[in-house]
Amino acid sequence: MSEHTRFEELVLPHLDAGYNLARWLTRNVNDAEDVVQDACIRALKYVGSLRDGDARAWFLTIVRHAFYDWCKRNRPAEIVKDDGTAIDMAADDSAVDPERAAQRSSESRLLADAVAELPVVFREVLILRELEELSYKEIARIADIPVGTVMSRLARARGLLQRSPLLHAIRGLPSGGQQ
Amino acid sequence: MNCDEARTLVARYADGEIDDLQGRSIAQHLRTCADCAVKHQGVLALRAQIRAEVPYFPATPALRERVRALVANARDVAPARPRPVRDRWRWLSGGALAGCTATILAWMLGTAVIDWRANEDVAVEAVTTHVRATLSNHLIEVASSDQHTVKPWLSARLDYSPPVRDLASEGFALGGGRLDTLDKQRVATLVYHYRLHTIDVFVRPEMVHAPTELRTVRGFNVAHATGSGMDWVAVSDVSADVLTAFVQRLARADAAP
Repeated sequence: MSEHTRFEELVLPHLDAGYNLARWLTRNVNDAEDVVQDACIRALKYVGSLRDGDARAWFLTIVRHAFYDWCKRNRPAEIVKDDGTAIDMAADDSAVDPERAAQRSSESRLLADAVAELPVVFREVLILRELEELSYKEIARIADIPVGTVMSRLARARGLLQRSPLLHAIRGLPSGGQQ
Repeated sequence: MNCDEARTLVARYADGEIDDLQGRSIAQHLRTCADCAVKHQGVLALRAQIRAEVPYFPATPALRERVRALVANARDVAPARPRPVRDRWRWLSGGALAGCTATILAWMLGTAVIDWRANEDVAVEAVTTHVRATLSNHLIEVASSDQHTVKPWLSARLDYSPPVRDLASEGFALGGGRLDTLDKQRVATLVYHYRLHTIDVFVRPEMVHAPTELRTVRGFNVAHATGSGMDWVAVSDVSADVLTAFVQRLARADAAP
């Protein structure tokens, strides 16, 4: 099977997954398209090394690498290790502003905004877990981190979302031990 | 199971990343512990909300178009894909070419060195022969200022017929000729007198790699010229420029009588 045929059969079915990840990492349509195109060029080149069965994780790994390379070129500041402290502080500061929170709650894309504001290292594991429904092990391989780190980052991401000022007014969501 | 143990397992339980035994234990704990149950519910509720409100972005039509173009491009390039093989051949032929070039260069250098050494040897031999002939008073075997006497004498003893010219009008009087061995070849030697000097001119069929430049060996000048199908090697104690002009004059075809 030729390279491009392998690519079409094994990788193209995961183009949506690749774009979704890139879209959440770049938070921008055009940048996501560029990243995925770059990833596809790499995938075409290395599709010969892909074993059957793990094409999605394989392609997502390439997309993630393409994103970080793109990031280094275009948004180097974003790669700086962000542990979410800023978000925590924001949460404390604006914790009590019922009017604003109520206003926010009327907006439809509240949670999406909160996810987009997560530092990228937490955002990527959250997207891979909750939207791609990948296992800890798969996420660990894609993000090139130990499974324990996947778990801690996931817990951090969830904690940040649950305590996000954007979400305080959301009904029915237990607010992560703030009560 | 207590709450400390449960804390690390709640998320894993909610994510389905736990074995059956631990799963049963945590399920039992959650039924009895409200705090842990709230945390567990928090993860599940967040997940439900994420899946409801956080959009999953499918690839845009523009991206699909770009990727299609990429693949089409790869397909077009594909026929030329046995490139590694071609590259290998290119490298191989390149290497072969480089090897050939190196060999040729080495050969040329080698022959140049050999030629140089041979010329050196010829020059040295010519001088030695000239000196020996002078000392032994064996300069001339056929004494004649008449080129028409010298030439047949030489031709009868050689497998070639050297041109013989008397240039007495220019100061170079033909004294006669003899046979010598030069560079393992029997050669004709013409003897000229120029003022008080004696000039030996060794004449042999033209060599492929003939010496070109003037040399000085043990105080004797050795000049060379090519012409009339012959190599001309002149040895004498006359000045270098005179000797060079003379040997070139001899070799020139228009000098033939």
